[in-house]
Amino acid sequence: MWSRPIWVMVMLELSDVTIRYGQHLAVDRVSATVAPGETVVILGANGAGKTSLLKAISGIITAQPGSAIRFQDCDVTGTPAHEITGAGIALVPEGRGLFGGMTVRDNLRLGANPARARALEKERLELVHDLFPRLAERQGQIVRTMSGGEQQMVAIARALMSNPDLLLLDEPSLGLAPIVVQELFRALARIRETGVGLLIVEQNVRLSLGIADRGYLMEAGRLTGEGSADDLLTDDAVQNAFLGTVS
Amino acid sequence: MLIDTLITGLVAGGTYALVAMGLTIQFGISRIMNLAHGDTIIAACFASFILFSVFGLSPILALMIVVPAGYVLSDAIYRLIMRPLVARAPNAGALEVDSILVTFGLLFVIQGVLLVAFGGNYTGYTFLNTPVDLFGTIVAANRLLALFLALVFGITLIFVLSRTRWGMTLRAVSIAPENAPLVGIDINRAARTAFALGGALAATAGVVVSMYQTFTATIGVIFTMKALIVVILGGKGSLTGALIGGLLLGLVETFVAAYIDPGLTLAATYTIFLLLLILRPTGFFGQAG
Repeated sequence: MWSRPIWVMVMLELSDVTIRYGQHLAVDRVSATVAPGETVVILGANGAGKTSLLKAISGIITAQPGSAIRFQDCDVTGTPAHEITGAGIALVPEGRGLFGGMTVRDNLRLGANPARARALEKERLELVHDLFPRLAERQGQIVRTMSGGEQQMVAIARALMSNPDLLLLDEPSLGLAPIVVQELFRALARIRETGVGLLIVEQNVRLSLGIADRGYLMEAGRLTGEGSADDLLTDDAVQNAFLGTVS
Repeated sequence: MLIDTLITGLVAGGTYALVAMGLTIQFGISRIMNLAHGDTIIAACFASFILFSVFGLSPILALMIVVPAGYVLSDAIYRLIMRPLVARAPNAGALEVDSILVTFGLLFVIQGVLLVAFGGNYTGYTFLNTPVDLFGTIVAANRLLALFLALVFGITLIFVLSRTRWGMTLRAVSIAPENAPLVGIDINRAARTAFALGGALAATAGVVVSMYQTFTATIGVIFTMKALIVVILGGKGSLTGALIGGLLLGLVETFVAAYIDPGLTLAATYTIFLLLLILRPTGFFGQAG
């Protein structure tokens, strides 16, 4: 089993990350870490700033001056999104971000577009087909015509095609039927076993903590708590804030 | 008569297809509606004319000079004129409007330079004007060559864009530019490449047109107009649509001219255009949304 000496190795390090949209302060001096191969969940209600944080890490939006994002000993603050993928961070955004008019095959091939993944395209495709056998059967299908759960599989598979060291997932279970969500988290648990780091933003507290090592609580743009997944599952604050209302 | 009309229609259509493919690639990927596209074609016609009459270079060889030149010059135009527009545009819609205004100006710049250099008279040269017997009809060899070149360039481009990784990244940008960076695509670079590629296609069309037809410095706008019709006919951003739409437009024009009345050519073109806008505004190969 993978050992995780967090105190020795940090893969992703956020220090004082602040994000503004005009006057609105979306993320307020957030500092957090993800170790290599670690699975971390950020829990929080809608509008807490979780999506903004993932967007800043992946270079889609720019954090305020004073923010620092380090990934594998490189400063990636302000690096444009198309280079972040090449550095080893793959984002599965809210809404999935697929090329709807193209086939499953083309979407996956595009996933292997960053230079770090091109030579490995065949192996990555085998891995992805092994994780999601349904995609192997549906290679020629136009993505737009697939169900929400299948599209989510394509989105995750496409991100994995880029051979990432860290996978960012923005509410992967949003809008999916409960049985599909179960299947999705089983797949995420298996992806975790491959050694890739996962940073997941979720509202489904039980399932996401179930596959995580650690979790952060986020409220109104700030991190308000942190703990191991097991501790958070039994924590009173988490119980009151999330588990009382979320089934 | 029938075969004669058919071939004339296909030759014209092949040219329209090339012209429209250039426009649709610029519009679909770079989000630039290039109103100076036709004038780029005419500039290439004159370049081909100079190479032929001054340097004695056949248009086939001229392709090897004019097409790369079209790519490089369009790339320079993009860096110089379009990039500031792209940088300040808040969204794709604003860029389209800005680009229409700017390329409308560019149209007159190119036209003005050509008028000063070559005057306003019809210009042309005689190349491969040998009669060929095709199914009992006599056709000039240069027309057949023009059709052949248009199809070869058009089909090669469709093949490259649909089969190679490079082509796939360009298609991805045309489908969902906001998602392209997620797979490591630099959309600014893709936009510049597509604009330059459109310029290379315009240059190809210019050389091909100059082989069988006379031209003046001021007829560029006619090519732009027809390309616009074909692009909407085939579906915005669709290369296959542009190829088929171009051939179709050429055939309709020629058949209406031959069998109904030459004066109704434009009327027929616009009737199709109007019907399509009403019945299927996304074009034959267009995707909704």
